[in-house]
Amino acid sequence: MTITQRAVKEATVLDLKGDLTYSNRAAFKSAVEQVKNAGCRHLIINLEHVRFMDSSGLGLLALLSQTFKVQQAQVSLLKPQSYVREIMSLANIPKMISIYETEGDALAVRAA
Amino acid sequence: MNLDSAKPIAGSVDSTDPACALPALILLVEDEPVTRTSMAARLKRFGYRVVEAGNGREALEMARRERPELIVLDWMMPEMDGPTFCETLRRDPSMKSAYILLMTAHDQPAQIAEGLARGADDFLSKSASKEEIRARVLAGLRTSRLVRELETTAAQLASSLLLLQTKQAEMDADLQSAASFVHSLLPPQGSPLQGVALAWEYQPSLTLGGDLFDVMVIDEGHLGLYILDASGHGVAAALRSASLMTFLRAKNILQMLGSYDPEKVLFEANRLFPMTAEGEYFTLWVGQLHLPTGRLTYAAAGHPGALLCPAEGPSRWLTRATFPLGINASAEFVNDRVLLKPNDRLFLLSDGIYEVPSPSGALWGRERFQGVIDAGRQRSLSETLAACFSEARQWQQAQHFPDDAAVMGLAVTEGLEESSHG
Repeated sequence: MTITQRAVKEATVLDLKGDLTYSNRAAFKSAVEQVKNAGCRHLIINLEHVRFMDSSGLGLLALLSQTFKVQQAQVSLLKPQSYVREIMSLANIPKMISIYETEGDALAVRAA
Repeated sequence: MNLDSAKPIAGSVDSTDPACALPALILLVEDEPVTRTSMAARLKRFGYRVVEAGNGREALEMARRERPELIVLDWMMPEMDGPTFCETLRRDPSMKSAYILLMTAHDQPAQIAEGLARGADDFLSKSASKEEIRARVLAGLRTSRLVRELETTAAQLASSLLLLQTKQAEMDADLQSAASFVHSLLPPQGSPLQGVALAWEYQPSLTLGGDLFDVMVIDEGHLGLYILDASGHGVAAALRSASLMTFLRAKNILQMLGSYDPEKVLFEANRLFPMTAEGEYFTLWVGQLHLPTGRLTYAAAGHPGALLCPAEGPSRWLTRATFPLGINASAEFVNDRVLLKPNDRLFLLSDGIYEVPSPSGALWGRERFQGVIDAGRQRSLSETLAACFSEARQWQQAQHFPDDAAVMGLAVTEGLEESSHG
């Protein structure tokens, strides 16, 4: 999995490419850690190019949402593919983390 | 300033092995006493330690005993000549890498070739100048030291490898014994109770799996069943699973909750098994089958669910979107109910059975899994399970699954009402 970080207005976007799974957890964690330590207030995880996510991947998102909640920061998910959306729904992830279809929507909600 | 006073021997700088305090040891083999004495004196003047032998036989013994860094050897000797000494020494595995400088009076190409072929490393003409002797000895020692370092490194590597292999074997044995323990926790196949048949297939992704399931008799009228899936893999996942399995035992649940009510079981498990700091958690599906009526009450915590395959009509998933265990302290779990009739089948499965990628990355998926279950109505329960695993393997074109894969199948073999009354 490759993770690219970029700044958009007041948010930080992590563009994920590949599978978010048990074997990629270290890469994901360190990328998130870096963003968190930089004092990010709104993290947008772009899932557009994530084809598969396993239970560990779901756990990483749940953990992420918890730690950002503690810091009163926000996490948003962007454009999950249908399969990823399905397994996230089974685990109720949309009730923890907001999902948006465009970057603009994600940013707008934060600003509102 | 007198530098020489500290170093009276001109060659002492060359002669000391940086790795050890003593100067290099040279074995000088020469039958002619005058030549031997003068050569020995010259080598000592260079700063080396020298041991001497008068013939090949004596030299063999000395080489094995003293393990010199370099052997300076005369060609022509009584009893055993130089080349024969080389050959004999090279047959000794511990002497294979000894460095041999063969001295000869007449350095003809044919003779040099023969000497090299029979085991010498280099040549030294008896008429060589002091500088040449010194240079050849130095070059020989350089090679000899490199070879020894290599030998030491190789020996260290070999012993490290042996140590690692021993440790690995111990760990493998430990894992195997843990795996067979986990296997012993799984329910026996066959019939847990009259009127119900049970079969399952399980293939952990590693030796130890994090998926566990069970079917147990709660009381005369009830059968409890569940499947749990720990996120993550390996030993840590297996340990967490085993602890959740202990919690889910009928005796424990009845003591804590008074019944095996699925939503209550999930509520309690959600409280007791929070997500770890690493983000690891469980998904769990729990059911309770009331045997007299065939009513199945079930609830899921983030688990992809169970598949009900009725005797007639299409199969359907028994699940709803809920939080996995330990992710949300105030999560709510709700019971659903369905009636099982004779010849209905119920499958509890982990997502590892259908989240199987083909070589191009496409997943086998729930629908294909469901297709195999639907097509298996005419086959026995265990044949249907075997078909699921073999089709999933065919899809990924590999034997081992990336995640734990478990499917447990239950079949109502006769009218539950009849069997419980009669």
